[in-house]
Amino acid sequence: MLITFQNVSRYYNDWPALENIDLTVESGEFLVLSGPSGAGKTTLFRLIWMGDFPTSGVVEVSGYRSDRIRKGDLSFLRRKLGIVFQDFRLLSDRTVFDNVALPLQVAGASPRAVRKRVFSLLAEMELNHRRLSYPHELSGGEQQRVAIARAMVAHPAILLADEPTGNLDPEVSKHVIELLLEINRTGTAIILATHDPRQIPAGTAKYLYLDRGHLADPVSWDGYNQL
Amino acid sequence: MIHLLKTSFHEGLLNIREKLGSFLVTLLMVSLSFMVFDIFLMVSWNVGTVLSDEQESVGIEIFLREDVTEIGAVNLADLISVMEGVRSVYYVSSLEAEAVFRADLPEQADLLILLGPQFHLPPSIQISLHPDCRTSEKVSGLARTVSGMDGVEDVVYGQEYLPGLTRAVDMMGKLVVLAGLVLAISLSLIVANTVRLAVAKRALTVEIMSIVGAPGWFVRMPFLGEGLLTGITGSAGSLFLTGIISSILSSSIPHDFLPGRWILLVLLLGASSGAAGSWMGMRSGIPKPRS
Repeated sequence: MLITFQNVSRYYNDWPALENIDLTVESGEFLVLSGPSGAGKTTLFRLIWMGDFPTSGVVEVSGYRSDRIRKGDLSFLRRKLGIVFQDFRLLSDRTVFDNVALPLQVAGASPRAVRKRVFSLLAEMELNHRRLSYPHELSGGEQQRVAIARAMVAHPAILLADEPTGNLDPEVSKHVIELLLEINRTGTAIILATHDPRQIPAGTAKYLYLDRGHLADPVSWDGYNQL
Repeated sequence: MIHLLKTSFHEGLLNIREKLGSFLVTLLMVSLSFMVFDIFLMVSWNVGTVLSDEQESVGIEIFLREDVTEIGAVNLADLISVMEGVRSVYYVSSLEAEAVFRADLPEQADLLILLGPQFHLPPSIQISLHPDCRTSEKVSGLARTVSGMDGVEDVVYGQEYLPGLTRAVDMMGKLVVLAGLVLAISLSLIVANTVRLAVAKRALTVEIMSIVGAPGWFVRMPFLGEGLLTGITGSAGSLFLTGIISSILSSSIPHDFLPGRWILLVLLLGASSGAAGSWMGMRSGIPKPRS
């Protein structure tokens, strides 16, 4: 298992952001997490990259347990993850190349290795011609592709995409989803948080529904067809 | 690791370049604050030198009774020479005392002739003390001990000025430490505030670096480097400015500039204040995982 949630709850001042969550994600799996705003999707993501810790229960990601992980190991855990946000979160003072190169640079890769990998990835994602542009010079779709490239550049085992199409028009959203499916076909596990799970073709993903911090019972809720 | 250090250094330069204006303002503030301290140090150093010279001459003079023979005086001197705090003793016979009197006060040399051949200056033993025993308490303690010894007529050790001198030297040292402490705290707060602003300005960069797996030290190092640079450059700048002021004033007020080890102390104080300020700024600025 790449990710395991064992009876995980997270409270903020007695308010349950997540309650009694049991969840597993296997290698290469595509998990679609939907639910209304405030359902706890972002909290769940934060618990996975351990920017937040459960009030009770245990989260285990790639062998790192939330109840035992040392501060110094957080960076090693996060290098196994790629994270994409709805608002892209690209660094405005850096070019596309530098934004994408960042995860490799902070992991101590040599400049030569960084150049090789970033050029190759930008070419794959049809962004090579934009490598010297700054984020504000790109369209929304291009910015999200850069954010995905940054998340994928260090070959993560898991890609977390938190509403990646939330700020994009339908046509561009479709391209981003195709890109995520393509990435998943290479063996990377993906967890996609979205308001609209029908963006993902039926049969290609496992669907989960979060509502007010609780996962809907998969027996009573078959996900896709009830949406 | 080398690539990581290089990248971290590059991040530090980016930090400074992004807010060069506020960095220079902080540097100026640090330099001016340190300059006040440097001038205070320079005054203290010069006053301290004068006081130390005075303290250097602190010693005890024991006047012996006239009936003490030269052998008795030498024996007494031997006894005193092994006492704690005594560096050396020197026996001054009556004849030598009179020779010194004539040499030091030639215009009053006739006084000895007027007093007649029966009058002799008393023999004495001059005691030189170890530097750490030149305080008022230790000198008076030793003077009390020797005053009770057989053959001793009187003991003189600068009772009038020594307590004041000791207090002045002591107070000067404490003032320097206190001023250094106050300056270190205030500079740490200035740097802490600058670093806090820098962290706030680069909040997204800090967050993204943390999310993409940058080690904690890698995220913190550019800010720590900025604090260190501010502290060291600011204190070096202040020394430069103080040096200019010192050379301008040297013709009208003769004085010495700070000695090498004090200059090093100022630079170290700058570096440590900068580092402490960065640490404080980062503690409140860089978010930690919630638990």
